[in-house]
Amino acid sequence: MIKLTIDGKEIELEEQVTVLEAARRAGIKIPTLCYFEGLKPFGGCRLCLVEVEKLPRLQTACTLMAADGMVVKTETEKIKAARRAILEFLLINHPLDCPVCDKAGECELQDLVARYGPDAGRFTEGKRHHPESFDDPIIVRNMERCVLCTRCIRMCEDLQGAYAITVTGRGSHSFVEPFSGGRYNCEYCGNCLTVCPVGAIMSRLHRHSYRPWFVEKEVETVCGYCGVGCSMVMQMREGKIIRTIPRMGLGLNNGLLCVRGRFGYDYLQSEQRLRSPLIRRDGELHEVSWSEALDYVASRLKEIKEKHGPQAIGAIGSGRCTNEDNYMLQRLMRFTIGTNNIDSSARLYYAPALLMLEGILGQGITANLIPGIKNADGVVVLGGDPTQINPILGLQIRAASRDGAKVITLGRAKGLERFAHIMLPGAPSNVDVVLGMIIQELREGVELKGENKWLQEQLSKVKVTEPIEGIPLDETIGALREMKNAVLVLGPEVLQSDNSDRTLLLVAALVYLLDARVFLLSERPNYQGAMDMGVLPDMLPGGRPLEMFKQKAEEALGREVPADRGLNLFEMIDAASEGRLKALYVMGENPVFNMPDKDRITEALKKLEFLVVQDIFLTETALMADVVLPARAWSERTGTYTNLERRIQFIRSGTDSADGMEDWRILEEISARLGEEKRFAILDEVWEEVVHVSPLHSGLGYDDIKDGKAIWPYKGEPLRGVEETYEIQGLDNIRPIKSGQVLQLDRPLYHSGSISRHSKALRSIEDEAFIVISTKKAEGLGLADGDIVKLITDRGSLQARIKIDSTVDEDNIYISNTFTEANFGSLSGYEAGRLGSLSLDKNPVKLEKV
Amino acid sequence: MERFLLKNIDNPESHRLAFYEAEGGYGSLKKALSLKPEEIIGEVKNSGLRGRGGAGFPTGMKWDFASRDPKFPKYLICNADEGEPGTFKDRPILEKNPHLLIEGMIISAYALKAEKGYIYLRGEYPYAKVVLEEAIKEAYEKGYLGDNILGSGFKFDLSVHQGAGAYICGEETALIESIEGKRGQPRIKPPFPVNVGAWGMPTVVNNVETLANIPLIIKIGSEEYKKIGNPECPGPKLYCVSGCVESPGVYELPMGTTLREIIYEHCGGIRGGGELKAVIPGGISTPVLTPDKLDTMMDFVSLPKVGSMLGSGAVMVFDQSVCLVRVCWRAMKFFEHESCGKCTPCREGVSWMRTVLERIESGFGRKGDIELLQDVASNIAGKTFCPLGDGAAGVVLSFIRNFPEEFDYHIEHKKCMVEA
Amino acid sequence: MDEIKEILKKYPDRRGALLPTLYVAQKAYGWLSQEALEEAAKALNLPPATVKGVATFYAMYKHKPMGRHLIQLCTNVACMIMGAERLVDLLKERYGLEPGGTTEDGRFSLVIMECIGACDRAPAMLVDTDFHADLNENNIFEILEKYE
Ligand SMILES: Cc1cc2nc3c(=O)[nH]c(=O)nc-3n(C[C@H](O)[C@H](O)[C@H](O)COP(=O)(O)O)c2cc1C
Ligand code: SF4
Ligand code: FES
Repeated sequence: MIKLTIDGKEIELEEQVTVLEAARRAGIKIPTLCYFEGLKPFGGCRLCLVEVEKLPRLQTACTLMAADGMVVKTETEKIKAARRAILEFLLINHPLDCPVCDKAGECELQDLVARYGPDAGRFTEGKRHHPESFDDPIIVRNMERCVLCTRCIRMCEDLQGAYAITVTGRGSHSFVEPFSGGRYNCEYCGNCLTVCPVGAIMSRLHRHSYRPWFVEKEVETVCGYCGVGCSMVMQMREGKIIRTIPRMGLGLNNGLLCVRGRFGYDYLQSEQRLRSPLIRRDGELHEVSWSEALDYVASRLKEIKEKHGPQAIGAIGSGRCTNEDNYMLQRLMRFTIGTNNIDSSARLYYAPALLMLEGILGQGITANLIPGIKNADGVVVLGGDPTQINPILGLQIRAASRDGAKVITLGRAKGLERFAHIMLPGAPSNVDVVLGMIIQELREGVELKGENKWLQEQLSKVKVTEPIEGIPLDETIGALREMKNAVLVLGPEVLQSDNSDRTLLLVAALVYLLDARVFLLSERPNYQGAMDMGVLPDMLPGGRPLEMFKQKAEEALGREVPADRGLNLFEMIDAASEGRLKALYVMGENPVFNMPDKDRITEALKKLEFLVVQDIFLTETALMADVVLPARAWSERTGTYTNLERRIQFIRSGTDSADGMEDWRILEEISARLGEEKRFAILDEVWEEVVHVSPLHSGLGYDDIKDGKAIWPYKGEPLRGVEETYEIQGLDNIRPIKSGQVLQLDRPLYHSGSISRHSKALRSIEDEAFIVISTKKAEGLGLADGDIVKLITDRGSLQARIKIDSTVDEDNIYISNTFTEANFGSLSGYEAGRLGSLSLDKNPVKLEKV
Repeated sequence: MERFLLKNIDNPESHRLAFYEAEGGYGSLKKALSLKPEEIIGEVKNSGLRGRGGAGFPTGMKWDFASRDPKFPKYLICNADEGEPGTFKDRPILEKNPHLLIEGMIISAYALKAEKGYIYLRGEYPYAKVVLEEAIKEAYEKGYLGDNILGSGFKFDLSVHQGAGAYICGEETALIESIEGKRGQPRIKPPFPVNVGAWGMPTVVNNVETLANIPLIIKIGSEEYKKIGNPECPGPKLYCVSGCVESPGVYELPMGTTLREIIYEHCGGIRGGGELKAVIPGGISTPVLTPDKLDTMMDFVSLPKVGSMLGSGAVMVFDQSVCLVRVCWRAMKFFEHESCGKCTPCREGVSWMRTVLERIESGFGRKGDIELLQDVASNIAGKTFCPLGDGAAGVVLSFIRNFPEEFDYHIEHKKCMVEA
Repeated sequence: MDEIKEILKKYPDRRGALLPTLYVAQKAYGWLSQEALEEAAKALNLPPATVKGVATFYAMYKHKPMGRHLIQLCTNVACMIMGAERLVDLLKERYGLEPGGTTEDGRFSLVIMECIGACDRAPAMLVDTDFHADLNENNIFEILEKYE
């Protein structure tokens, strides 16, 4: 116990903290500038000087540890004079251009000067000049305003781990700069914007358009880009978002955001948003009224159901729509139409992977808390770069590494290059060889827990018949053996291959041997929620297998549930091309663009008799639709998302949309027109039914969710210890597949699916698809970053610039699926792999220098 | 007095191992290896040796702290940054007597159980780098460095780390940052380097001259050593004298020799029979003194009593021909150039002082400038992150306090008193 | 690269090798261009921005091209009172050489130094790595003329 006195107040402390923190706890505010909560103390600005009895010099409260018996004064005349002096120093070179500075009103320097500052400066010589830099598309740098607190640098290095900016020069010629001196070329998390106390690092997007007093309303919500689910505050004016910012202490991201969350919201205000329902007449889409459109959809669905039976209808739900929307879609399909033909793009990897992992290791196995990653003493990463797919989760791995955790990566993980201790090579389809080699060693001398007999049996079968050369196996095993508190992060890349069932089994085995917490990366904010809501052909809400829980669900709802397992995403496409599926209802998804093999999907959808698309843009899929229904976008509606840790979070509406309708409401309207009784006037009523039907969510109210209490296993029944068994082929004969050069799907940091195409901000950072290749490949072809190459597959070719990534496998060539001009989907084929997810193994590709 | 630190430096072979050995070199190391590390620390503590880098911290105490820290590995760093203007005392050791330093470092490392040492050598001494690296190579070849030193089982590796032109890197925590490959900005203390130093490990940083004293202490024993110079802070001391004296240079004298003796007996007095005007006793960061302080003993305890400091023992002598406003301005230019930029008062305040001094010096001084300078200086003093800024403020304050008439004259007549 | 490997042996981590590596890069490229900095960063696997931050902190790393010979002349107090500033003026008169600049023929660059530890033999300078002291208006040119 430490007892000290600050300004006459006695303070007792249980732990060692700084004098600044001790004072704060006692309600005494000491002015600071270079201090920022969560960043390492710096002690440079000298504003927090305090007097400490028995110490001759003034001390900086932000660096001085409180000690027993200390007597501190924080507001004496001497201290005030010191602060005035410091502020006078800071103003020597400060331009004092507050009237035109975007920071005005939330500038810490301005506030400090108002409170402690000198009336007038006595420095009369010319100020240091350093023109404002507009070389970057997003960030304006005004070094005349900089106070060199280095908060941005510490943020960039110590929290973000991007190391993009630095102080160059020395003394009074020090400036904050990115390496190029101009463009940042960084991760564009914008977290430096959060911490800059003055107007030195500002966002160009808000130039001259943002003043704190413009903010009419602040709305707390959750980001709609990825499965992390960062909390953020939308700052609104006249019904529009003027800025989204994170807040310290808010949400699992605690003050941080990534580029998408921070800058990507402007698609909401795109000119290209859908404004009106559309119906196809004479081959053209025409604007119609809502009632006409809804009536039409209902009548066509009814007609097709009567003519071809319910199995001729299918639906695709969305990882971007809320739980409530997804629930309503499956409700429409299952209970109103009478089919289990429902699925989502979670099928591409997330759903099959999650289900198999849960099948082997138990439901909820991936329900681990993201902020807990940093406490791990070891992290194994495979299946793609978490710092790109789920950036804020990626930061936790960096944090763990900084705190001494051993980080081992397998395959692509550029963003962890500076944080990984061992980087094992591995093409997505050959990861199981490396995993197999690891398992063979690791299982030796380990006392198996005997909890999971089936898994143990499989584990003992593992045999690598042709090991990969050049793997530092001893070092890896040594590191793995030392892990007491391991985390395993699993990404999509290794789940999109023929062998991914085997890969997943090996992953499960590794998780079992390490007793690791496992995380499954999720590209979309609500893949997990869509699944939990029953947007699966064989599962009912709450993750209940259809055959086992059909009766229970029927009892709960008093409705009949179709007995047969429905068609999954791939099967629906196949059924459509074969003419078995006549109608498809697509909500918030763009299969024509977001799936590989555009031609195949387009051909299939063309065969449909009826295609309905609910979306916020006239997507490639919507362009083919018979009816297009404008939905509300992320910020225009309320509801819940379930993130990859299975935390359920509330998203709130901030902006208005006079045109669109919430997805769940559209579905309610259609159900009603199909003869259902109107039940859901407000969102809460939808959730009430979810809670009623899904044992997983039972007893969970919106209040709990808003309070941040909706963390697995909620209040519901933590269900089934179902240990399923799987037929895994070739466990005893693991060897590399020599598939030659294959095309892989890139998931770039700055973009997300096809929606980010509509964000001007994100496009200003990256406005083209890059072909990502390995260093070796680039050297082989004599290519440098930015060179243009031609990519050729049996489906066609395209040209784009290359990006070299030292962590990419030599035989894998990546391109993203975001841009219309050059994308993955139009060049790639697909098959359903053994896991039931997408397989990209048979995707031969050639590269030519142009 | 018999020279120890600068022994034989006039001999062109003095830097060679063979020569050094022939003169009894490495004898202290052999003796030290027969002692327990704690015994050596005890000896150094008892000797009263205080660090020669400027701060005068008791060396034995520093070692004691580091050796008590249970963390390993430990590092020993020799501070050969010698950046303080006016200072050139370590240079003859580095260039002419490198084995004395190396021997001192090996003994120190043995006492500290440090296995790795660096000599942080300023970039401006390229010749010393060549000499040191050659000497280190010789020492490795003779088994004084490396895995099993003289069969004792003790292991110590030593290399030279070349600085790159930053005065602040003489400050020990900035020096450590610099060795770690970072911008040389001082660290928050505590923790002190003895606990959390290079790469987070216990680290002792000692000045060249400090380490060069170690073989002597081992050779003659701490009791004998204490008899040299002022008993309050004993030992031989290198005084480097520059400026307006007949024979500038480095003088090895007992600690506590008076300024008068140094200037008039050893350096032959003021050049050309001129008249002494001012003297800076310990390098440019130490306050300037007036001629009436000449009888002060040059040591860690006596100089503070007259308002200055021993610093590095760099005596800078100015006669009547020197304009002190210009000296003060030039000093400020130096501090401005060398301020690391970390803390506000030093970064901004020192520039400001330089600006004001510059206008006074060039004949554009204004009424009130002296008061302004004093005010800015006192706003810096005591508020900076490290002693660099304090030093700059102290210089300005002492020049104005001791020579107000020169500043007044400059402002009033728009020119220098000396010229007039 | 071999040189850098040798350097790396002396430090417990890669970053420690940065200062010496920058010297190597400077020697190879003549000055620390963006390219040189990138190379150094690559060799040690450090972020380029970090490398630049370090490189620009230290006065002896050069951030623009230098002449064939680098004159580093001290003008700090001891050298100043012994006439170093006069030498600066003379260099300008004779070679058109300004502090921080390079002669038109690329023969000399001049950098004004803070104390180089030769105050007893002031004024003093380094030409490349050679040390010259006790300079005066005449001998400085005798010395410099030897550098082609
Ligand atoms: C701004 C500044 C510059 C310094 N420069 C040097 C230096 O060049 N050489 C040196 O030995 N000590 C220098 N010091 C002192 C060191 O911080 C440290 O006290 C010394 O290396 C400790 O060694 P010692 O105990 O042997 O003196 C400097 C200190 C400060 C604050
Ligand atoms: S990490 Fe994901 S949830 Fe967080 S801000 Fe980025 S895209 Fe949004
Ligand atoms: S807040 Fe303490 S020194 Fe800046």
